[in-house]
Amino acid sequence: MSVKAVKAVKSLRIAWRITLLNIRAAMEYRTEFLLNIAIGAIWQVSVIVFATVLLARFTGMGGWDSSDVLLIPAIRMLAHGLFVLLLGRMHFIGRQIQEGRIDIYLLRPMPVHRQVQLDYFPTNAIGDLTVATGLMVGALSRSDLDWTAGRVSYLIAAIIGGMLLEAALFTVVASACLRFPAADYWSRWLEELLGTFGSYPLNVLPRAVGGFLTYALPLAFVAYLPTAVLTGHDHGIGVPYWLAAASPLLGIAGYLAARLVWRWSLKRYTGVNG
Amino acid sequence: MASVLHGWRAARVTPLGELHTPPRMTAVLLRLTVQVVLVASLWRGLYAHTGTTAGLSRDQAVTYAVLAVLASRLRELDQSAGRDMVLQHMHFGTIVYWYLRPLPPQRYYALRALGEQLYGLAWALGGYVVCLAAGVVEPPESAAVAGVFVVSMLLGQWVLYYVMLVLDQLCFFTIRNNSAMLILIFAQNLLSGVYAPLWFFPDWFITLSSFLPFQATLSVPLSIYVGRIELSDAGVQLVIQAAWVVVLALFTRWVWRRAARRVISQGG
Amino acid sequence: MIGSIEVRGLSRTFHTTVRRPGFAGALRSLVNPQKVAKHAVSDVTFSVAAGELLALLGPNGAGKSTTIKMLTGILTPTAGEARVAGVVPYEERERNARNIGTVFGQRTQLWWDLPVRESFAILRDIYEVPKAEHAARLKEFDELLDLSSFWDTRVRHLSLGQRVRSDLAAALLHDPPVVFLDEPTIGMDVVVKEQVREFLRHQVEERGRTVLLTTHDMTEVERLAERVVLINHGRLVLDGTLDEIRRKFGSTWQVRVTLADPHTEVGSLPGIALLRHEGPQAVFGPDGPDAPTVHQALKQVIERYEVTDLALDEADLEDVMRAAYVHAEASHAETAAEGA
Repeated sequence: MSVKAVKAVKSLRIAWRITLLNIRAAMEYRTEFLLNIAIGAIWQVSVIVFATVLLARFTGMGGWDSSDVLLIPAIRMLAHGLFVLLLGRMHFIGRQIQEGRIDIYLLRPMPVHRQVQLDYFPTNAIGDLTVATGLMVGALSRSDLDWTAGRVSYLIAAIIGGMLLEAALFTVVASACLRFPAADYWSRWLEELLGTFGSYPLNVLPRAVGGFLTYALPLAFVAYLPTAVLTGHDHGIGVPYWLAAASPLLGIAGYLAARLVWRWSLKRYTGVNG
Repeated sequence: MASVLHGWRAARVTPLGELHTPPRMTAVLLRLTVQVVLVASLWRGLYAHTGTTAGLSRDQAVTYAVLAVLASRLRELDQSAGRDMVLQHMHFGTIVYWYLRPLPPQRYYALRALGEQLYGLAWALGGYVVCLAAGVVEPPESAAVAGVFVVSMLLGQWVLYYVMLVLDQLCFFTIRNNSAMLILIFAQNLLSGVYAPLWFFPDWFITLSSFLPFQATLSVPLSIYVGRIELSDAGVQLVIQAAWVVVLALFTRWVWRRAARRVISQGG
Repeated sequence: MIGSIEVRGLSRTFHTTVRRPGFAGALRSLVNPQKVAKHAVSDVTFSVAAGELLALLGPNGAGKSTTIKMLTGILTPTAGEARVAGVVPYEERERNARNIGTVFGQRTQLWWDLPVRESFAILRDIYEVPKAEHAARLKEFDELLDLSSFWDTRVRHLSLGQRVRSDLAAALLHDPPVVFLDEPTIGMDVVVKEQVREFLRHQVEERGRTVLLTTHDMTEVERLAERVVLINHGRLVLDGTLDEIRRKFGSTWQVRVTLADPHTEVGSLPGIALLRHEGPQAVFGPDGPDAPTVHQALKQVIERYEVTDLALDEADLEDVMRAAYVHAEASHAETAAEGA
């Protein structure tokens, strides 16, 4: 085994050990842990109701079949659940920065980004993923599409791409937080925007608004455009077909770029109020 | 009189903090504008192939949705920036100061919230006037509707105050309840009808929701405004809202007492 | 009565959950938590006269903060009684709040997002201080603490020294007769520390306030306190003047000598202990109750050894406190052993 591979295995093992400790730490807070599980149930019901409620009311939304539209929230939720589980600590970073935790991380021999991710175990991700999986199963069972190996692989690629794109957006905001801790405000807005507008076929919106959510805030590439590709809606989606098809690749590229921005900002990090 | 107003300066904390940070106000303005545009175009788009559904016409739905965005301004500020949330006071151990002053913590909290809600009201009203002028929202059908709406909105904000208070009071008992808070805030948003009017939901959901206080905060006043709740039915709804105010007032009072006991038994 | 603090038999026991080790242990604690009692303060009795500054000393975790919390009314004792300016703090918290000012050194009560002066205005309103009185007192504090150089700055941008000075002013703006300070000068530079001490001395001597102070800074104790109360493991170890502490735990003198021949065999003399010996340097101190006076000790040392240089010091307070803490530790272990 090469030195690099040994190092990677070693850091993975450390990450795993810290994650186990974090799960234990989550259980230490007895009331909260139990509360999280209890409230998770409410959350699951509300999300599924919310996702299906509009579909039932507005059939033929944007000229799409309901079964096709349902795939959008399914992909988005699953990508989001994975994001919360694997890379989700980025959106509470404003608080960590304000409390000067970054200064502590900088003193330790482990990348700051990884330490942020290992700060605590996201108990709520379990709920997110449960809901998302249920929604995906529901969407797939209703779908009339022919689920060939190619289509299934693209679906998986789309989910991973969606996760990375969401991670990229939050990483950029987190990088901004390093300079201006108040930028944390935008991270909450981003979450709200992704939550509300990530689940519709964006062609119901006026062209300018759809364009904003495609090019200014690339929310369309998380779930809408990959779904369009999967369901064969290659016209009237506001972008060339090849660009829509490349959504998963955009996710990877976006995430790598965001990590560069993070590195650049971390180098220029000057600490908070002395 | 003096004793009623005693401590009133605590109400100024939020507006003053915002005025001292112009970038935050710019952010609010930008976010509000974008959100209104997005929400209005979304509902117009959704209604493109549908007439009246769930008893709401296109204009009613758009008005409802935009008003919901404006109303959510009333109490959704960047509270963490001021380090004056219960959660933060518990975390930094500064909650003890609330109990070291001759002003009861519950009064201090109420004054802070009042100031915050009045400040948010200024934003919401400004936004409303602009949206009305731009024709994004419809004016109320009659002066009577407007009057009942104002009363209902006031009661709704009162209920909302208590709902937020319960969320904050939770922090006295579980320090690390960040995710629980997020979920409850989501429930509040969903069940109060901020994301989508409750009328679109299945009947069982509406029934379930009618047993909870959330719809009293926003869904009821906005439905009165757009005329989805007729004036003749509005009386019942106002009574239910008032009942929630009483129930939640008693409940939160009881929790304040338990919170004080908790702080005092553990020393903050 | 006005401004005095009376503490009688004060005790406080906490019940905490024991965390079992390991993953399975964590799961078991989740289902069946195990409680254990910890006596943070037990049977502490002392009093502070009006206009007196008393230092409450003890190692970390001795029960100092718990005692202060009970005296400020945010913690109810499990047994015993306390009166602050005639009020039982935990029974009439709000009435007590008007009589006291409190600073917990590491925690600020100021509003993070607002300029310092706005925090003062809010507190003026909360404590219902008349406007003119508030302005006059603010002026007085400004002269002593130099507040005006930063009071238009928002709290989040203050340095630690500025923040603590502001907190100190905030705690005293309503003219409380009794002041509680929990490690107020922790982490501050020498200049600011001196400024704060000067301020406190002024508040005690000129304004007649009663101050109860906890600190680990012995210079501060020496400069400010005539009387100290020493607690350890929640128990009162000593209540007296600094001199009494010195007499009880510290050697009252030390004789340092440089020996002409570094290879001389050095040992203790009757009533005189050899404290340290390294190369040609040796340090002697009194030993036991029959120790000779400094004069006699000097004579004995010079007679016994051939020295080239000689110096006489008083032991510093840090040494005395170390001796006192260690002594308390030893006697605590003894009582614990007897109890078992």
